[in-house]
Amino acid sequence: MLILAVDSSTPVAGAALVEDHRVLIESFINYKKTHSETLLPTIDRIMKECDCSPADLDALALTVGPGSFTGLRIGMATVKGIAMAAHKPIVALSTLDTLAANAAGSDDLVGALLDARKNELYYGFYSMREQGPEALQEAMVGTPQAVVSQARELMAQGQRVILLGDGYYRYGAYFQQELQEQLKVMPGHLMLPRAAAAGILAVDKAGQGEFEDLYRLGPVYIRLSEAEYRLKKGEI
Amino acid sequence: MKDILILGIETSCDETAASVVKNGRHILSNVINSQVQIHAQFGGVVPEVASRQHIENIALVVDQAFADAGLEYQDIDAVAVTNEPGLVGALLVGLSFAKGLAWSLQRPLLAVNHLHGHIYANMLEHEDIKFPAVCLVVSGGHTSLLLMQDINHYQVLGATRDDAAGEAFDKVARFLGLGYPGGPAIQKAAQEGQAGKMKLPRVFLDRQDYEFSFSGLKTATMNMKKKLEKAGELQVCDLAAEFQQALIEVLVEKSLQAASRYGVESILMAGGVAANQELRSLMEQRTESRKIKVFCPSLSLCTDNAAMIAGMGYQQFIRNCYASLRLNAYPSLSSL
Ligand SMILES: [Zn+2]
Repeated sequence: MLILAVDSSTPVAGAALVEDHRVLIESFINYKKTHSETLLPTIDRIMKECDCSPADLDALALTVGPGSFTGLRIGMATVKGIAMAAHKPIVALSTLDTLAANAAGSDDLVGALLDARKNELYYGFYSMREQGPEALQEAMVGTPQAVVSQARELMAQGQRVILLGDGYYRYGAYFQQELQEQLKVMPGHLMLPRAAAAGILAVDKAGQGEFEDLYRLGPVYIRLSEAEYRLKKGEI
Repeated sequence: MKDILILGIETSCDETAASVVKNGRHILSNVINSQVQIHAQFGGVVPEVASRQHIENIALVVDQAFADAGLEYQDIDAVAVTNEPGLVGALLVGLSFAKGLAWSLQRPLLAVNHLHGHIYANMLEHEDIKFPAVCLVVSGGHTSLLLMQDINHYQVLGATRDDAAGEAFDKVARFLGLGYPGGPAIQKAAQEGQAGKMKLPRVFLDRQDYEFSFSGLKTATMNMKKKLEKAGELQVCDLAAEFQQALIEVLVEKSLQAASRYGVESILMAGGVAANQELRSLMEQRTESRKIKVFCPSLSLCTDNAAMIAGMGYQQFIRNCYASLRLNAYPSLSSL
């Protein structure tokens, strides 16, 4: 099974080609240029490198959020365009699940954190299973304080917590101060979502026929837009 | 010669649109998914809400454009997409989808400026446009007067210094309590009223250049409303009619001045405000006795659509002006 995986939920533009459980090629760009400029040239490059055309793919995999609203839509629109024209199915993955997969094999509690601006984070806690990360609660948005109290609640006796994601970078000092020796931090190459991890997770989902409806698929924003929020509160 | 089929995609504001156009002239399909109802509850277009709608609608809209045209994806020769100007988040949805589609089909990508698309809408319906021509571009975001040598070459004679005409319609409609979108709302109210019962300024009409300014007219209308209200004499429909008249007289007279100065025989109108009935008929009236022909797209092609993007894309295609896969979206105008 050959899968093209795409991730543009964070400042990273990532793409990978995965064949069954083998990564053929991966691109990870965490540089100034916008996703709109880098994503498709990256896809083009890695596909050419592996002598692949869209017709060779069995499916496309995509991280659908949470994350940067615009970033999520750039990835999703790109993948929808490719998938529609090539008549290929789409596998959707949570960005937090994908991020948590970087801590595969760990016995610790895993907390995936993405910067949500406005002094908040999108976050999810996981325990690692052989088949991949298992979410212990629904993905949420909240303050760093909420993240810490959730971590304390979920940590078993003697367990530590691994925090990863760009949300960690922003509030690292706070987390260190609160969690001290209970905190473990991943090395830099495992701190951000990897398209290769999305591809590996997608292989299993695709094997079970878990595909999305191209015409209905939308990003998982978690947050309403500011205007919708104000409308709901009766401010508009 | 083989027919050239271009798919156009447009998501610069609050319409998700796709269309297939043959040889830059014949519209085979023209699908528009309007979000106007959704934005009406906010009193105007909300960029994030628009982007969210686009990403959910885009695949369905494009698929429908192929289905209506009776074509397979592989049948098209290129994908044209609006990449400027507009709401950047909204543009990025159409642009990214177009890139994915074009790359997947191994077809060229064509970058179209939204305003060039509006101007090109005239070419979709009229074959007898004589160049050089003067073109009045009036929309929610832009108001300018162009001297066109042909469809690809023009110079800007003048533009608005502040609000665009459509923006002035929206703002005035809002404070007159006429609702959103402002253009149709003012037009409707004006039909019930009469212009000339009070006098609003024809801004810049006395000047010999082609610059516009509508923010002063907006303020004058606001002050007039307050004054009339105080005197208990406010007739909203009359005020709307006078505002509309003051605005379109300037547009029409400046277009005529340009036409006679440059000796052109065609005046083109383009953009959403060109759908205004009073503007269209005043332009017709004022050119009747002269040797000038007025062209404007039919109403459905004045407002945002993708047929105009596919059409303008055709011009790029035949000149081999392909866009790179690095193409980005831009909120403001790089040219025009
Ligand atoms: Zn427009």
